[in-house]
Amino acid sequence: MATGAAFRDSLATARIKPRGREESTLMSETILSPFWISLKTVLVATTITFFLGIAAARWIVGYQGRLKNIMNGLFILPLVLPPTVVGLGLLMLFGKHGPAGMLLGRLGASVVFSWPATVIAATTISFPLMYMTARGAFEQIETSIENAARTLGASEWRIFWSVTLPLAWPGVLAGTILALARSLGEFGATLMLAGDIPGRTETIPMAIYFAVEAGDMHEALVLALVVLAIAFVSIVVISEVGGAPRGSRYGVRSSKGKAHRTPEVEP
Amino acid sequence: MLEVNIQKSLPGFSLKAAFSIDREILAILGPSGSGKTMTLQSIAGLLRPDEGYIRLNGRELLDSADGLCLPPQVRRVGFVFQNYALFSHLNAYDNIAFGIHHLDRREIDGRVDRLLHMMNLQDMGRRYPGQLSAGQQQRVAVARALAPEPEVLLLDEPFSALDTLVKERLEDELLAIQQFYKGDVLFVTHDLDEAYKISSKMAVYEAGRILQLGSKQEVIEAPASRMVARLAGVRNLMEGVVDGIEDGQALVRVPGLEAPLRVALKNGACLRRNQPVTVGIRQECIAIVDCAGENAFPGRVERAVEDVAGISYRFQMQGDGAGECRLETSLPGKAAPVMRSGQACYLFLPPERLFII
Repeated sequence: MATGAAFRDSLATARIKPRGREESTLMSETILSPFWISLKTVLVATTITFFLGIAAARWIVGYQGRLKNIMNGLFILPLVLPPTVVGLGLLMLFGKHGPAGMLLGRLGASVVFSWPATVIAATTISFPLMYMTARGAFEQIETSIENAARTLGASEWRIFWSVTLPLAWPGVLAGTILALARSLGEFGATLMLAGDIPGRTETIPMAIYFAVEAGDMHEALVLALVVLAIAFVSIVVISEVGGAPRGSRYGVRSSKGKAHRTPEVEP
Repeated sequence: MLEVNIQKSLPGFSLKAAFSIDREILAILGPSGSGKTMTLQSIAGLLRPDEGYIRLNGRELLDSADGLCLPPQVRRVGFVFQNYALFSHLNAYDNIAFGIHHLDRREIDGRVDRLLHMMNLQDMGRRYPGQLSAGQQQRVAVARALAPEPEVLLLDEPFSALDTLVKERLEDELLAIQQFYKGDVLFVTHDLDEAYKISSKMAVYEAGRILQLGSKQEVIEAPASRMVARLAGVRNLMEGVVDGIEDGQALVRVPGLEAPLRVALKNGACLRRNQPVTVGIRQECIAIVDCAGENAFPGRVERAVEDVAGISYRFQMQGDGAGECRLETSLPGKAAPVMRSGQACYLFLPPERLFII
């Protein structure tokens, strides 16, 4: 009940906000503000998702218990549910009467309608993508490779850093790009939990939506171009920094030991 | 010295293996799924047996009675996997150095260079696995396993994925390893020739059990069971009954043979009259002769197969009407007489080459 009222209020707040009819230029407040908010949100959310997704993927690949499928289901739930439902769930969790909300309340903090909420929403939504891609990459690695490392004296930690992660890197990278893209475009859950508060929680996707709603197509288009630029630059930077060098020396991971390259030398 | 006595049960399969070796090369031979790899993995600590103990040079690696099971990292066991399991993101040098990275730089360089030399991989240090041939990859895998100077070296079908030429070279190299590696070596194979060539001792596995364990000569010349005989490549197994014993030889009546077989008795074998036995002889041990005599029986050629090594004949023996007996011979090279189907001749079965199961 209380949540319902809070939600109605948030929607009301979300919608009633000043939308100037003045000319919007690239440098105007209505462009810059969502730009910075989105940038901050995406950077923080992707970083958190990167570590959480890898950790969850690594854990579940090593987990032998009966709850494996259940845990997997929980991890990918935010991907399967409509973003607004995820947002609702987060609202119920972090709202005044939710478990996390009450805990924070005791510390004098509240997450709803604040900037951290955009990060929470973006992280939750993009987590499944990072998790699934990383998990796939880890499972591709043959057990015998990690076993070989064990017989050579490497601790599980060293195996992860020196063998598993480097071998899974292309997949992990792809997952990061997916997570980043998804965080950048996050709308539904963010609107629910963080609301559309210009200067505080209004990310670019929300700014675009409300600009169109207010009839300001120019602003919407500029923002869309900004998003395109951020996305493109991020993807290229991640690929460049993390990708395999030219003339990949990774070779072909062979199965059954047969090298796929024809040898130019004596066997 | 490696002592192994382990048991493990899985749905539909159970393994029970016990043996010990001391500075020798043990070949573990047997069909797929007979528990050979499980044994190796148990020794390495990659698999935990339900019960048993494993002792390496006096150190307990596993003792189920005490609940002790050391992790693979501390067992000082070298393992060469069937698919090599090289780290494809590291070059050959770094692969080999992986297990000794805690040593100082000079020591690492020294060991890796020495190993590269020993395995005929000079100048390959900078290459990545994807740039190496299968034979070279296998050598890197062996070098990598040897770098930390393990107390036992385990090889799981190390040459099964290689073509004949490369295989032969690597088999020779593995034999040569004995010059510088003084620990125990166990290797799993399903190739009898390879097992015989490299090992000094053989363990024959079937369905999770060791059927026979002994020196390679023992296993080949005196297989302990029909299964071992078959796995050892023996195709001549005859069912018979002991007629009597005289002068250290058993006379065995085999239905399908004209006269009783004289079999030399070994190692104080105890036989009773009228005891049913299986008598076997390797194909290579049968000689083709001109006339009848002791242990020489008449037969007719039923089939001839020529292969690279020589000619194999299958004979139908002329018997006493009580049954049929077929024997196969395998004669090397062009020295073998060429015979047509239906041709008659005599086969001589040397008493010392016959074995009783």
